[in-house]
Amino acid sequence: MSSDLKNIIEALVFISQEPLTLDRIKAVLEGAPDEEVQAAVDELLQDYAAAGRGIQVVHTGGGYILSTRPEHDRWVRRLLQIERKNKLSSAALETLSGIAYHQPVTQAEISAIRGVDSTYTLKTLLEKKLIKIIGRKKAPGNPLIYRTSERFLQYFGLNSLDELPSEEEIGKILQEEKSSEG
Amino acid sequence: MPENAPDAIPFEDIPAVPVSAEARDGYQVRLEIFEGPLDLLLFLIRKKKIDIQDIPIAAITRDYLDYLNGKVQINLDREAEFLFIAALLIYIKSQMLLPRETDLAEQEDPRQVLVNRLLEYQKIKAACSLLREREEDQILQWKRTFLPPLPGESELDFAEVSLFDLAESFFLMMKRRSAEDTRVIRGRDVSYEEKMKELFGLLRDGQVLDFLAYFATQESLEEALVSFFCLLELVKSRQAVAVQDELFQTIRVWLRKDARRTGHHE
Repeated sequence: MSSDLKNIIEALVFISQEPLTLDRIKAVLEGAPDEEVQAAVDELLQDYAAAGRGIQVVHTGGGYILSTRPEHDRWVRRLLQIERKNKLSSAALETLSGIAYHQPVTQAEISAIRGVDSTYTLKTLLEKKLIKIIGRKKAPGNPLIYRTSERFLQYFGLNSLDELPSEEEIGKILQEEKSSEG
Repeated sequence: MPENAPDAIPFEDIPAVPVSAEARDGYQVRLEIFEGPLDLLLFLIRKKKIDIQDIPIAAITRDYLDYLNGKVQINLDREAEFLFIAALLIYIKSQMLLPRETDLAEQEDPRQVLVNRLLEYQKIKAACSLLREREEDQILQWKRTFLPPLPGESELDFAEVSLFDLAESFFLMMKRRSAEDTRVIRGRDVSYEEKMKELFGLLRDGQVLDFLAYFATQESLEEALVSFFCLLELVKSRQAVAVQDELFQTIRVWLRKDARRTGHHE
């Protein structure tokens, strides 16, 4: 049964276009005991982690999804005819980071945090679907309110906002920066 | 004030940021390596090895203004944001110089607003460097969610464009051209028949033509117009296919297979 379960989950992950959550898996496999499902998922991850495969199952964006292995990046890019994968600009990354830690925020608030007008950067982040509009603030002018999207989590390989760099990690970086200048 | 966590920025205390050039047309001007005025300020503070909690406002204000003065050639719109912080620094400096009736210890330090902003900004910058590491790690692992469309051989992947799309691209192209500083030396009469022949020549043997690139080679408005009409004619008579991958992108044109076989009929 357990190996059956594992194969079924593999099929579900394969066919999913977005990260497949554990809840969805459980809903599909109705009746299967939670711990058996969890065990099957873990086993599936281990199977893929074992050497000798070009793809892997990763836990990201709150669910499970197939991805290529990092060492094959070059070949994948050749297939897709992409010279170099575009990284976020530093303005975009800074805005995104500000939103992640202060959400929900408006354009004026994120601009104030950065000290730089962020209207254009917000637009590009929206286009990339890394942030989303969740409504309007009940304040003068009814400005739009922004949040990071599910795709944001997936983009950085996070499963929830709790996995964002913590105060301690940030403190460590700041400490390092300080000492490196000394 | 009990609602304000010590590290949260009280937004209502921060005046709005002036709208910069960045907003208007996406044209970004970067001031050296600094992402913005706070970035510059943090840099100056670090350079002097100053404690953020106890900034010598006079000295930092001087450094900051010196830096701005050194940059004569910066974009004025962008500079507004830098000047905004300069004004804030000078304001704080003036507040510190004013004689007070009450003891300073009892009042809030006029620098506190700035310090809070700097601390918060510093945190976000540090988080950025951690997120960047994650990004670099993640983009090597391709997932289908982030997949661009496969570079294709098949015609079926594209939506055929309407005449309106063609016209829109044409105007977009003309706008681009008018922005260029070019001059036409002499006019030349271009006939519809000649153009048609030229286009057919280019499209023969299943060649794919980049619409915008082709128009960029046209010498005058007149010539561009004639080629455009030829193209419209070809599409209308269903001899050529025009496809556009995305809005505002170039339109690619090729002859339909049967048109290739029969050739151009007059």
